[in-house]
Parts: sequence; C-alpha cells; structure tokens
Amino acid sequence: MQLSDQLRALRTDPGPQRHAQALLHAKLLEWCDRFAGHALEAELAGFAAGGNLAEFPILSACFDPGDGLAAEMVTALVALVANGLGQEPLGQVPMRHFTNGMISTLLIGRNGPVSLALVAVDGIALARRPNPESASFAPNHGWERVLAGSAEGEFIDIAPLPGNRAQITREPLSLAPGRVIVRDYTRRSIRLDRIEGTLVSLRLQRRRDNGPLTREYRLSDGALVHQAAGNPRDSRFELAAALLGRMGRTDAVPMLAAMVREDRPATLRWQLLRECLSLDSAAGFEALTAIATSPDDPLATPAGALRAQLLEQYPQLAEIAPCPA
Amino acid sequence: MNLPKIDLSVLPDLDMLTGVFGSLAHLGRIAESDDTLFVLMTFLYELHPPENDTPIGLFF
Repeated sequence: MQLSDQLRALRTDPGPQRHAQALLHAKLLEWCDRFAGHALEAELAGFAAGGNLAEFPILSACFDPGDGLAAEMVTALVALVANGLGQEPLGQVPMRHFTNGMISTLLIGRNGPVSLALVAVDGIALARRPNPESASFAPNHGWERVLAGSAEGEFIDIAPLPGNRAQITREPLSLAPGRVIVRDYTRRSIRLDRIEGTLVSLRLQRRRDNGPLTREYRLSDGALVHQAAGNPRDSRFELAAALLGRMGRTDAVPMLAAMVREDRPATLRWQLLRECLSLDSAAGFEALTAIATSPDDPLATPAGALRAQLLEQYPQLAEIAPCPA
Repeated sequence: MNLPKIDLSVLPDLDMLTGVFGSLAHLGRIAESDDTLFVLMTFLYELHPPENDTPIGLFF
C-alpha cells in the first residue's frame, strides 16, 4: 500500500487533522452568523412540531419562487466550504453527506422528522442508469426549489386501487432554476429523464411519523412490488422485538403486549404479536383475542384465523379469558 | 393450567411482508432521494466537533 507523505504524517500526528476540522467548523460558524443559524434551527424545530411553512419566515422565504434567499444562503455555504477544503484538502466536511456518483446530498439541518438538504443530481451519471421499473411513495411532504441546472422528467401520480394495485398517471415535468415543487410523497413521485449538467436543489422534507408504509409500485402495471416501514422507529421496534424473542426475554412480554394494542402500523403490531405469543402463550393469546374480537381493528381477520388455528392445535388456550380492556 | 410453548415458525406472517425502513425492491435509476438517505447515511465526522457553539440542529 502506498501512502502519501501527507497522509503518513496524519497517522502519527493528529494535530493537522484537528486543525483542518477546526477550520471547516469555523467556516460553518461563519455561515451560521451570517444567515441567522440559530433562527433557522429554531424554525426547523418549530416546523418539526407541526405548523404551516408560512409561519416560519426563513424557511418560507427559501421556498418562495420570488425570493432570492435560498440561492444566497446556498452560494455562501458552498463558497465557505469550498474555501475551507481549498485550504485543508484532507479535511472532512462536518455535515452529513452522501454520494453514489449520481446523487449527492449535504444535510444542512435536521430536527426529528424534518430535514433541510442540498441535493445535486449529475446528468451524465443519470444517463448511464437503466430506466426505473418502479417508483416509491413514502409518507413525506416535501418542498423543493431548483437552484441550478435544468431537467426534463415526469411526475408519477398514484391513486390506490383495491388488491394491492395503484392507478398510475404521468405528467411531463420541466425543472429550471427558481421552480418550486411542493408534493405529498405518498401520492406523487418524480422521475428524471434528462439533466443538463447538474441539477442542484434545496429540499425541505417533513416525514409523517404516524403515516402509512412506504410503498413501491411497478410503473408498467401499477402492481405493488414492495412495502417498507415508513419511519425508522417502527423498524427499530420490530428488530428489538425479534431480538427480545430470540433472547427469550419473557420480562418484555407486558411491554410487547401493550404495544400490540397501541395505535401503530398493523404490520408492526402483527410481528410484535407473534413474538408475544412465542414468548408467553397466555399473554399473547389474550392480546390475540382482544384483536380478533375488535371488528374495527385492521388485524381482526388474520387474528381471528390465527386464534382459530391455535385453539384447534392447543385446546387448553380456550381457558384464557380475554382481557376486559 | 398447562399452557403450550408456541414456536414462532408456526405463527403465520401477513399476506404481504413489510421490509425495514429504506428497503426497496428495485434500485433502478432512482434520481430522487427522500429523507431515508439522511437516516441511513454513514457519518464519518468525529462525534464531538471542535467547538460546541454551532446550533445543534444544523449540520449534524
């Protein structure tokens, strides 16, 4: 392995790296001072707690097509960071960032379900990718403002149909600097066909934490090809419950049984119920009975079928009285 | 009461399984990202920045 002298020096002396990070951090502080970073942070927190965009002056200015604030803020941010990297090329930009060669993001701010990010999509990399077979619809609301570049593509709108299908309609879309797109991601997705240069936009998103699952539909026929948890918390709960189950942690049963009856996605509740039944058949069967006898519960039918199956297999379960609650 | 020990594998799943947050069937040409990316993205920066006076919700 070959190491440049500069990198070799960093391995033995952390001083220069600290210096680089301090410099980049100072650049971000300079930006915060210039653009009322504390006020922006407070707006993100307020927006995360609910409320309309119009109640937040900085955020609403950023997504007002007639206002130049977004371009000014982003230009200054990029200039400061680029200047910092010019001075310290081995520094790490102290912002969450990602790239896959086509799409690159810099996270400007985040508060709970709200994120504000700078997004760049590279036109050449986009052209090399195969056409998408599907489109994904997540429980988010988004505001996007194009800052640079232009693109052609389409909106993909869905209307759910019975039987795990959706009716798909498409509408041509042109993006150019100044264009602001506001959309409900559960209903409307965007597909980009062509980008001149790089498309740069500022994007604000707010996730609905009690929203529906993320659903992915095939573009050719509108069939549902995949569904996933709409927020990371539900996946964490599911993984934690699976782990508690494998560990045989019967002390977790009361908590799992209570969560089964809470207002959570049916798919998560079903997995919690399975773990509960496997850890403690009495507590699990009580929860199962409570669901099976609640006609309004979306899990009532599968719960009823499972209850019947278990009663046939283990008649002694009939002695467990349903919980009065 | 002699209650059974029920094996997890005999308990059925729902008709349609649900993947973890951020999972997709087709990666394809995803030219748009949503906030999934920000939750899943790896953060390489040291946990404690040199100074502590950046607004907490910004940049981190």
